[in-house]
Amino acid sequence: MDKNNKIPFQEDNYTHNIERNGERTLDRRGFMKTLVGAAGLFAVSSLPWGAVAAKELMGLSDKGYPKKKIADVSKVAIGDSVNFSFPGEHDSALLIRLSENKYVAYQNACTHLRCPVFWVKEKGEMICPCHHGKFDAQTGEPTVGPPRRPLPEIKVKVENGTIYAVGVKRYEA
Amino acid sequence: MKRSYLSVAVLCVILMMNIVFTQLIVHQYFFEHYVTVLIYCGFNILLFPIALLVYQQDRKRKGVHHDEQ
Ligand code: FES
Repeated sequence: MDKNNKIPFQEDNYTHNIERNGERTLDRRGFMKTLVGAAGLFAVSSLPWGAVAAKELMGLSDKGYPKKKIADVSKVAIGDSVNFSFPGEHDSALLIRLSENKYVAYQNACTHLRCPVFWVKEKGEMICPCHHGKFDAQTGEPTVGPPRRPLPEIKVKVENGTIYAVGVKRYEA
Repeated sequence: MKRSYLSVAVLCVILMMNIVFTQLIVHQYFFEHYVTVLIYCGFNILLFPIALLVYQQDRKRKGVHHDEQ
């Protein structure tokens, strides 16, 4: 009882003895230091992006695929399609002859879950059998169903009656 | 001491620009516009010495008090 009459009474209670002077406060200068530190952090963290981008830029200049023969023009009637693979052996692709001089080719792994997309001549569209995704033959854009991204387009070239695949178009988002 | 918050404001703007540039870097990277990535990356790096300069300038102008270090 006796000790409780002193003010402040002795008590082993840490909430009563915080040293105000020893506290760290966030003053204006401290705040500014934090901001400068954040700027430094941003600078450092954007370095890897720059490095990877630079690498990509240098690597891409020689990332041409050797051109590959797809088929002879005489064997592909207008409205027909040919399966081939480009650029790798396992990258299956689809060539469609839309008109006399218009050929389009896409990598035909569906952009939904990679089922092989096929060309339906009667309907004039590319259909994915798995979930009935449909793609526009002119552009490769998805028109119906789950796929959201276009099929990667393959550049084709016709030389002396033969159709060649010469490269893969990059996504332009 | 009368406080000036000009340099604080400038630093805040720099931080904002940092955030915006970083966002742009990431987006442009996925859009495969690598030159743009490099440009923004350069901006981001350039912002750090500017921020440091603003801070030091502020320190010099005010003088360092003993209650602040
Ligand atoms: S895999 Fe093609 S629609 Fe699902």
